[in-house]
Amino acid sequence: MSNWPAETKYIGHSTARIDAPAKLTGKARYASDIQAEGWLYGMILRSKWPAAKILSVNLDKARQIPGVKAAVVARDGSFTIRFYGEEIAAVAGTSKQVCLDALRAIEVQAEVRHEFVVNENEARKENAAQVWAGSPNVPATPHVRENGSVDTAFPECAAVIKGFYTTAVQIHHPMETHGNTVSWTDDGVTAWASTQGVSSVRDGLAGALQLDHSQVRVITEYMGGGFGSKLGAGVEGALAAKLSKAAKAPVRLMLTRFDQSLAVGNRPSSFQKIKMGATADGMLHAFEMENYGTAGIGAGGDSGGGSGSADIPAPYIYKVPNTRVKQSAVAVNAGASRAFRAPGNPPASFGMESAMDDLAVKLGMDPLELRLKNDPSPIRQREYKLGAEKFGWKEKYQKPGSSSGVVKTGIGCAGAAWPAGGASRNTQGEAQINPDGSIEFRLGVQDIGTGTKTVIAVVAAEMLGLKPEQITVRVGDTRFPPGPGSGGSTTCGSVSATVFDVCTNALQQLQTQSGLADARGENWFAACKKLGVNPLVVHGKWQPGLTADHACGVQFAEVEVDTETGLVTVKKILGVHDCGLIVNQVTLESQINGGIIMGMGYALYEERVMDDLSGVVLNPNFETYKLPGIADVPDIEIVLINMPERGVIGIGEPATVPTAGAIANAVANAIGVRVCSLPITPAKILAALGKVPPATA
Amino acid sequence: MNAFTYATAHSPASARQLVADKGAYLAGGNDLLGLLKEYLVSADILVNIKSLPGLDKIERGEKFWTIGSLVTVAQIEDHAEIKETFPGLHEAASEVASQQIRNVATVGGNLAQHSRCWYFRHRDTQCLKKDGDLCYALNGENRYHSLFTGNTCISPVVSSLATIFASLDATAIVLRDGQETRQNMAELYQRAWENPLAHNSLKNGDLILRVEIPTTRSRSAYLQVSDRHAFDWALVSCAAAADVVDGKLKSPRVALGSISPVPHQVETANRFLDGKVLDNATATQAADMILKDAKPLEHNAYKVPLAHALIRRTLLKLKGDA
Ligand SMILES: Cc1cc2nc3c(=O)[nH]c(=O)nc-3n(C[C@H](O)[C@H](O)[C@H](O)COP(=O)(O)OP(=O)(O)OC[C@H]3O[C@@H](n4cnc5c(N)ncnc54)[C@H](O)[C@@H]3O)c2cc1C
Repeated sequence: MSNWPAETKYIGHSTARIDAPAKLTGKARYASDIQAEGWLYGMILRSKWPAAKILSVNLDKARQIPGVKAAVVARDGSFTIRFYGEEIAAVAGTSKQVCLDALRAIEVQAEVRHEFVVNENEARKENAAQVWAGSPNVPATPHVRENGSVDTAFPECAAVIKGFYTTAVQIHHPMETHGNTVSWTDDGVTAWASTQGVSSVRDGLAGALQLDHSQVRVITEYMGGGFGSKLGAGVEGALAAKLSKAAKAPVRLMLTRFDQSLAVGNRPSSFQKIKMGATADGMLHAFEMENYGTAGIGAGGDSGGGSGSADIPAPYIYKVPNTRVKQSAVAVNAGASRAFRAPGNPPASFGMESAMDDLAVKLGMDPLELRLKNDPSPIRQREYKLGAEKFGWKEKYQKPGSSSGVVKTGIGCAGAAWPAGGASRNTQGEAQINPDGSIEFRLGVQDIGTGTKTVIAVVAAEMLGLKPEQITVRVGDTRFPPGPGSGGSTTCGSVSATVFDVCTNALQQLQTQSGLADARGENWFAACKKLGVNPLVVHGKWQPGLTADHACGVQFAEVEVDTETGLVTVKKILGVHDCGLIVNQVTLESQINGGIIMGMGYALYEERVMDDLSGVVLNPNFETYKLPGIADVPDIEIVLINMPERGVIGIGEPATVPTAGAIANAVANAIGVRVCSLPITPAKILAALGKVPPATA
Repeated sequence: MNAFTYATAHSPASARQLVADKGAYLAGGNDLLGLLKEYLVSADILVNIKSLPGLDKIERGEKFWTIGSLVTVAQIEDHAEIKETFPGLHEAASEVASQQIRNVATVGGNLAQHSRCWYFRHRDTQCLKKDGDLCYALNGENRYHSLFTGNTCISPVVSSLATIFASLDATAIVLRDGQETRQNMAELYQRAWENPLAHNSLKNGDLILRVEIPTTRSRSAYLQVSDRHAFDWALVSCAAAADVVDGKLKSPRVALGSISPVPHQVETANRFLDGKVLDNATATQAADMILKDAKPLEHNAYKVPLAHALIRRTLLKLKGDA
């Protein structure tokens, strides 16, 4: 049992974002809105070669351009470039055009290397160009995990399927690009950062600039999305600081969409060769997978940064008695991967859930039934049953490819798991209660668009018997008590439990000081008044018994596929999700909507396209890097399972996990053949249907 | 972008004079400004032509309609009588980009827009179209490229208006060397068929004044398919127009976009369709003829069945309810 109150007025209900008016009126200030006195634009010169040795960088001509106030190199001396877009130098100037001109005036002497490789399958070949000199692109020994004995188990299976399921590299494209406004003065460095972690950015900047932590302050009042890619200061953060120091002025360095496509991280690709078997009654019995994928230069060799791995959990949410899983990351000359909303999970879900449906076909079973037989989670079992009812699974389900006509309909489902989602136990916070009854919460977390501030207000209002609008919330400042980076879907749990504790302490002290037995609700103002002239400042931190982890979730998809044009239309997605105690329903639903739309992009549209010959990213903009638009978004229905007894669990990540698998299965159900590769484009649908003629050239 | 001067022209003649030999006409700017910012085009002067008198009108006529080159795509889309008279033109206009772009995109700029090939548009690839040595797309990422070409560049024409105008046998009136010249859509793009450096047949200083659409074809239709539903370029677009007399096609024309440097038209197919009663078999035969010489590459062969389906569907749309 959790310690949360049983009867609630705000928790579990819906409070609109407390900062919605500020966002809608433009009052909200993002990193790029900061107009520090005398600020300059900053810009980065990036490599136009995918592989080169930089011999020297001459900034003199750039510095001579009127309006240019500083120019710095990204690295001293001679250095190696390993991907198109890697940082070489940066400039600060009084206008964008001045900076652009300056970038073109920088003289770079380089030994351009024509040996490079941007394609995973090419990079795996024996004589492929080495991304990291002296070490193979694929490590000699893959990561291997074995359970039971697949070799004896496969012959015991009644049905065995084999599939090769692949997913593309997905680029990090939060609506707000990466960047900072940095001011370096004698008093230290202040960075207005677009970040998911004010503390980690402070520590990172201090390290990069060789300053004490106490000399760096990071502020993030508002930010426009990060999805895992904005936990550190980034090269762009350190460069902005160096420019500010050199120019003696604040520098705003926001990346462009083009920059964004190259160097701020991505979700690794996956190439999953799966063999899976079940006994005649549909129990999974043997699973074998060989998977590789690329994390760009963050894989293979001496991969310092990046996630360094393209491994995915397998056999994902299922328990199979006999498994053998071999995985390896392939280095290519491309920007490194970074944590990306539920790292590893969407590709794992897509591969495994595709294999499940393929196996169901082989067994002649309803794929939902196969899941109910094999899914070890009682929560997902409940969700599947509830969802099937709502979705009308039984009525809608037809054998694959049996829908009539040119435009065929199909349905599919898939499940999610998210092992994290709990809380950071070091989260702290404070509240200042003023004699006039006003109260301000200060937490060194950041609201990355998920509604963290609103969660704080909701929990505080509930605990203190006030209204959410009576609570002032301040976050996103390293001068506040430290909070966690917003990663792993832990923020909601962390702040909810912390605010709970702050409120408990506040009431205790207020009651002692005021002599009132209960300072909540209608007694609040009277109690505060008794404080006299000094406000009361109380601290609190995460406490056990209020948070949990391991959210589940299942999604159902219904699609239409035009078998002559290959166009897929998603008609409906039903998401059934749990995240323990629901704190605020509207912002929770908003997370799930966003997760589903992002999952749709992964399923149908998104893909980093690189050119083998030149090594460039060919789609560095929203014209050709295709994201779902509102016209693509289907009817989304969300069913929530409230489990107050578990405590608070985050939802951001599990919400996006099963969408691609569910859509892929619905497409396969519609057309009767599987498109094994994401994104599922019209071209791939037509190819799967056997309609595409061979190339003539 | 490189520095340039700026002037507003108030007559076609002065526009021509101002633009001289290194300038560019600026209409809605959707394409030109992007090209300038990426250093793909440079101009010493931008001549704003948006104030040229009389070119922003749609005029009805007995024999033909006139659409001024400054008419916006949104104007066409919103024009009730165009929807009535040239339904295909209405459909094509409404598929162009997004509402915001349509609000400023002009007919002249749409026809004169540059290639969208992602190698041409990339700042760091020196492809054929930028006077480089090779077409990267030929053995590279050619999923959006042409099935037909007359040269070594496989970047296709992507103007949705050019596709529908071709099927309506519209003519562009172009001011060239002080003379009004007439070019149908085949002529307007012919040079792109022959010359990898060309995006169309316009020579420096050529100014599109208007487009004339004959009223001979009472039926028209346009269809396109993109990777997604939200606004996106066509993978293939198809337009068809004809008159229908006693259930039979008269003067039919079919044109396709995004599969060739020119609006793809096959005269034998148009002749084959002439006088035919439309049914699935006829449409299929026409589609076969239109795509007969397609040369699919490694990644764009899907355009063949896609184009085939679109030709059939567009033709059958001409039947309407009658
Ligand atoms: C994201 C996106 C999606 C798009 N999707 C589509 C689509 O689906 N279908 C489609 O057809 N288009 C599409 N477009 C292209 C868009 O329609 C064109 O860029 C626009 O029509 C250009 O018109 P403009 O008036 O803005 O031209 P400008 O940018 O002003 O000019 C374009 C070019 O034409 C020249 N020019 C302009 N007017 C004349 C004239 N009268 N005579 C001679 N030369 C002239 C200019 O010098 C310049 O070279 C898309 C564009 C974008 C950015």
